Amino acid sequence: MLELLLKTIGQGGVHSKSELARSMGVGEDLLAQMVEDLVRMGYLEPVGGECTGGCTDCPMGDLCAVGGHGKAWTLTEKGRRAADKAP
Amino acid sequence: MSEGRVIKVALAGQPNVGKSTVFNLLTGLSQHVGNWPGKTVERKEGVYSHNGTEVHIVDLPGTYSLTAHSSEEVIARNYIIRDRPDVVVAVVNASSMERNLYLVAELLPLPSPVIVAVNMMDVAHQHGVNVEPEVLEAALGVPVVPMVATKNQGIRELVQAIDDLVQDGALYQPKRPEIRDDHREVLREIRDLVSPYVPEPYPEDWISLKLLEGDDEILDMMEGRVPEDVWERVHAILREHEDAVVAIASGRYEWIGRMTRAALVRPGIGQVTITERLDRWATHPVWGLLVLAGILGLVFWLTYSVGAPIQGLLETYVVGGSAQLAENVLAGAPAWLGGLVVDGVIGGVGTVITFIPILVIFFAFMGLLEDVGYMARAGYVMDRFMHLMGLHGKSFIPLFLGFGCNVPAVMGARVIESRRGHLLTIMLAPLVPCTARMMVLAYFTPLFFGAAAPLVAWGLVGLSLAVLAVSGVVINKVAFGGELSAFIMELPLYHVPNWQTIGILIWQRSLSFLKRAGTLILVVSVVLWALAALPTGEIETSFLAGMGRLMAPVGALMGLSWKMMVALFTSFIAKENAIASLAVIYGAGEEAGLAEILPQVLTPAAALSYLVVQMLFVPCVATVATVFSETNSWKWTLFNLLLLLVISFGLGILVFQIASLVT
Repeated sequence: MLELLLKTIGQGGVHSKSELARSMGVGEDLLAQMVEDLVRMGYLEPVGGECTGGCTDCPMGDLCAVGGHGKAWTLTEKGRRAADKAP
Repeated sequence: MSEGRVIKVALAGQPNVGKSTVFNLLTGLSQHVGNWPGKTVERKEGVYSHNGTEVHIVDLPGTYSLTAHSSEEVIARNYIIRDRPDVVVAVVNASSMERNLYLVAELLPLPSPVIVAVNMMDVAHQHGVNVEPEVLEAALGVPVVPMVATKNQGIRELVQAIDDLVQDGALYQPKRPEIRDDHREVLREIRDLVSPYVPEPYPEDWISLKLLEGDDEILDMMEGRVPEDVWERVHAILREHEDAVVAIASGRYEWIGRMTRAALVRPGIGQVTITERLDRWATHPVWGLLVLAGILGLVFWLTYSVGAPIQGLLETYVVGGSAQLAENVLAGAPAWLGGLVVDGVIGGVGTVITFIPILVIFFAFMGLLEDVGYMARAGYVMDRFMHLMGLHGKSFIPLFLGFGCNVPAVMGARVIESRRGHLLTIMLAPLVPCTARMMVLAYFTPLFFGAAAPLVAWGLVGLSLAVLAVSGVVINKVAFGGELSAFIMELPLYHVPNWQTIGILIWQRSLSFLKRAGTLILVVSVVLWALAALPTGEIETSFLAGMGRLMAPVGALMGLSWKMMVALFTSFIAKENAIASLAVIYGAGEEAGLAEILPQVLTPAAALSYLVVQMLFVPCVATVATVFSETNSWKWTLFNLLLLLVISFGLGILVFQIASLVT
């Protein structure tokens, strides 16, 4: 299942978590866990560094303006290799 | 039926499943708390009696899985392996079952039989999620007990189930998760190699799985026990199959998918579909973009129609009024003091403060959009639109993240592997119209353009985005050679806004704005006033004029006098400084507010070019600092500033020349 996820992402473009969950026939909660796992294993990485849009906790929150962006992830090199190899 | 029998039961579960409640119900006052040997992790134990059997319960630490990454996980799995409880009760939360089943997937390969207690059935029901325990039991092959521990429901059934399982092991026929097909051979190879060396009480299968998974604790343990030549072969296999961990995790997810498809009935109505329905429009590549454009237009229109009049009133009565008051009070004081207070402080800082109404409306609207969950979609929509246009760019998403604030855009560039692409993206990230810049537009456009303000503001943001899109495409052509973008985005569910959160946000931002006004802007205003007054008392012959005139040649190309150039220059420190500077330089406050003065000294074409430069000009200090920390190079940071300077002035000149021809 994870390889399917990697492969789908590897095909390019931007996918929303809910759209991926639906196409794979799983709940969004499970998909979120799969994404977390892939991050932990080094196949995905979050975009935007430490900034996840939670401005109230950020020390730079005062300087930064209003507007949290959505969280995004992308394939790491390892992830790209795995996505290409995926059956 | 044996009297005086003692059995051991371990309680396992992820955090937030109600495990403690179950533990408390089972053990009551008999529980005592200690520590796991040699660790600071808490260990709870207790006892109950049933049908003449004494049942000792150990509460294992709540963990998400059983890897070697934390001592809690290692404690939990080692207890089951070494102490061999007669039963492991895995508590899961009915409303987050998919997540919780991951732990069950890891528990099943361990030697002790598992009973799954599905807790919080009531909460799940409220969310429209229905779990069918019998179906789950059939699918899992292990006893399943539905519970609502907080209402004391299901405890008796759980106790009975434990008893039954211990009495009759035949009940237990688990359907365990399997490793993905293509890795079964490898698993067998590893197992054949290491099985002679696996110490009691570890199960061979589990050890082989953990080795393949790259489990640190098990790797360490086995390396010491396996002869060198055998270990070399094991190591070689592991190195060749470093992706096996994905295959193993995949197997578990596959299993979870099967279990939940059978037994979990998901909500058909509710929040999920509202989000889906709204998103069909909001994230559509074409309609979504129109919605985004519409919303932006609305923001500017609202801030203008509601905020500007209030701002005007504040300028006339508060600033004008206090200027008058100050003049009267300081009538006898030395002239310079009067000038400092009236023109410098009240004129400068005072004028800035009158913009609070515009600020508040802007923050309110933005805060509302963010809280409702729409802001997260802005970048997604723009990328989808670009995709539709056939424009593919890996840097789009990082760039579009800068929509709220440029800092995440600069940091987001990290995901771009090619060094050229990475640098280029960082260089262009400050061009993204962040909300701070949009706010500046919101308060400048009414000053220059009156009723046309919302349209102009909206057009300028559009211009910025167009510049950005072009840059993204250029980066893609120049630096990537077609490196495909590949992203997942999390779009939160839409939800009813929490007015308290928004209120707090507005309050915090306004407060920090006022703080900045009272400190930084105050200082700049005073300094400017001083420079404008010295040495002659006439602004045209002051130090400030001297400095300003140096910049005049460039300004002339844009129809901007040296005074406007000074204002532009001061906005590097803080964007609001531009207003303060203009107020001080043009002597706003006493007789006329900026809103009256500015349209007289600037043609629309010049005003437009000023705004273009302001929009694309040097970014805020936080962004520059981030560019520096991400590039780790003074050279590149300075280059970035220079680049932005050139782009913004270049476009400003262009806009002015074109606009002059037209108006």
